[in-house]
Amino acid sequence: MGPLDPRTRLALGLMAFGAVLIARNLETILVELVLLFIAIALFGMGKPWIRSLRLIGPMSGLVFAIALLSFDLQAALLLSIRLINLLTVSFVFFHAITPEEMGESLRKMGVPYEFGFILTTSMRYVPLIGQKIRHILDAQRSRGIDLRPKIKNARNFMALLMPLLVQSFVLSEELALAMESRGFGRKGRSSRRLYRLALWEYGLMIASLALLIGFAWWERG
Amino acid sequence: MIRMRNVSYRYPNMDGEWALREIDFSIEDGEYILVCGASGSGKSTLTYLFNGLIPHFFEGQLKGSVEVEGIYTREKRVSDLFPHVGLVLQNADAQLFNSTVENDIAFGLESLGLSGKEIDRRIRWIAKTLEIEDLLGRTPMALSGGEKHLVSIASVLCLDPSVVILDEPYAHLDWVGTRRIQEALSTIHQMGKTVVVIEQKIGRFIDDATRCLIMDGGMPIFNGSPKEAFEVLIREGLVPRYTKRKKRDRSGKEDLLVARSLSHRIETKDVLKEVSLELRKGETLAIVGRNGSGKTTLIKHFNGLLRPHSGELAFTGEDIRRKAPPEMAKAVGLSFQNPNDQFFKNRVKDELLVGAKILGKEDNKWIEELCDLFELRELLDRPPYRLSEGQKKRVALASILAHRPELLILDEPTVGQDGRFRKAMIDLVIALEERGITIIVITHDLEFAQAIADRWIVLHEGRIVADGSPQAIWGDERLIRLGAIGRPEEEMVEAFLES
Repeated sequence: MGPLDPRTRLALGLMAFGAVLIARNLETILVELVLLFIAIALFGMGKPWIRSLRLIGPMSGLVFAIALLSFDLQAALLLSIRLINLLTVSFVFFHAITPEEMGESLRKMGVPYEFGFILTTSMRYVPLIGQKIRHILDAQRSRGIDLRPKIKNARNFMALLMPLLVQSFVLSEELALAMESRGFGRKGRSSRRLYRLALWEYGLMIASLALLIGFAWWERG
Repeated sequence: MIRMRNVSYRYPNMDGEWALREIDFSIEDGEYILVCGASGSGKSTLTYLFNGLIPHFFEGQLKGSVEVEGIYTREKRVSDLFPHVGLVLQNADAQLFNSTVENDIAFGLESLGLSGKEIDRRIRWIAKTLEIEDLLGRTPMALSGGEKHLVSIASVLCLDPSVVILDEPYAHLDWVGTRRIQEALSTIHQMGKTVVVIEQKIGRFIDDATRCLIMDGGMPIFNGSPKEAFEVLIREGLVPRYTKRKKRDRSGKEDLLVARSLSHRIETKDVLKEVSLELRKGETLAIVGRNGSGKTTLIKHFNGLLRPHSGELAFTGEDIRRKAPPEMAKAVGLSFQNPNDQFFKNRVKDELLVGAKILGKEDNKWIEELCDLFELRELLDRPPYRLSEGQKKRVALASILAHRPELLILDEPTVGQDGRFRKAMIDLVIALEERGITIIVITHDLEFAQAIADRWIVLHEGRIVADGSPQAIWGDERLIRLGAIGRPEEEMVEAFLES
């Protein structure tokens, strides 16, 4: 994905999300799934995608079961495969663009630097917060506190939320200290990478947008 | 050059208590200063003065003046001072806030407004200097503790500051990580930089410093050579001199815990490989090894947090492989490294009783005994979050013991704790042994492990490579060369004092 400007990647990613949400027929959704598989194979993301099935699988399975009980098989297939497509597009998108590239793209599009920075830093800390949650769960379960997702355990979740909140506040203060100590907010900030949109990338984005509009019109028809 | 004249400081909402009091102190260019002291002695606060975080980031009351490289910190913002003074925080997860190592190093350089070409040149230079070229494309989350600290140092050193300050860089590291950071700091010092290291766990790196400052109650109580400082640190209990442990014979006792060929895999990595051990009732066992050797993964099997992929595991003769943590909690108490993971009540006394109430094992007499043993009486009505690190650890431990488990497991109890606490911890463990509690201690602090346990199990890359008395294991050159254990600090201490 190197040669493409991050703004192009951002725009193509958003259009891919749009295409998945627009699709209404089971056949179209299946075609999209095949196209996504081809993209995954082309970008060499097969192994990590298979690992991500641990999240995608149970979620779409749950949607399938609920839709099957509430509607019919057709609707269950449609909803669950669409969810797989949506999560797979997210997977490809976030593997194809780093948080810093996304922040830089937003800055180039006129979004204030601070806003883009908050967005990218939040993405960086998602796994860390996940790790903190696991540590707190281990510590509390070791004391006999039942934190399995059951209604009778609802009150016990304070034992997870309170330490998580306190530690997140502490982390945010330390993060602010670290940022301040490395010149965050200083005037005259430069960017290491100089991004330039090539003419053909404009062409690619316009062609993709035209395809998306055509696809939407065809799906409605 | 750093010059502090009659500096006092207090944080807002601290009930008038001064964190620093009347400090007159100077650091010359090219010095290597080691700032030591107990928890809460004002060491970290001192560093915030050097780069202007006090008074520009932390509010509060500051008296006196701080001058760095001829700049009065009160008159300039942190963003004006950061090219002169680099601060490396203790929490590397906060220090490294970008998605890759390369981007993290680039962040400060971009703040300086340098060109892309110059930024790339400096990244290559710093990566080569600190030998971290192989880490540049990796995400900070995936690095080991030592690697994170090296990258944190790189992210500051690339700015070419004349002063580099590090807040407890060794706190979470094993002997291999410690040595790597020690070498990096020597390199920085040889480059002519002024190095200031804040540390409460004193090791062989004290030899590298040109001067030591010992803080107590917000004031320096010593300012002089490392050798003299070492003697003061021992006298003040900040470098604990552990007494030789009396050998306890448990050979006749029955087995409490037995593991046979226990294996555990995380994704495709074998974290535990065919681990077998027996723990006798009343025994105190230390499981030692490097960070990432599988120690914590192993103990999580003992209370049901993890299930083995293969092998057998029995507690008092009963198969516990399928037992869940709430079932095991009555018999096995596990205290993790970070006490903040536990606290969710507003008062210490409520926090103490959480587990005992849930498990239906409230015993007021035992709780009273614990309060005396852990010196908690004064703290019972205070919020746990407001306590010092040592007090938090005491509360966390007492709350694990409140329902009187048969087996107590302590995961890295000395991390982030000062020498006084480490010494006190030994006495606490002896007191618990006398009350019939069997204890497992997980640690990479080998001096502490020697003082606390009769028996060591050395775990290396998921395998047990030694099982026996600390005396027999610590002299084993084969294990030291393998990297499974470090060299005794005692030898270093003797050599240092004799030199």
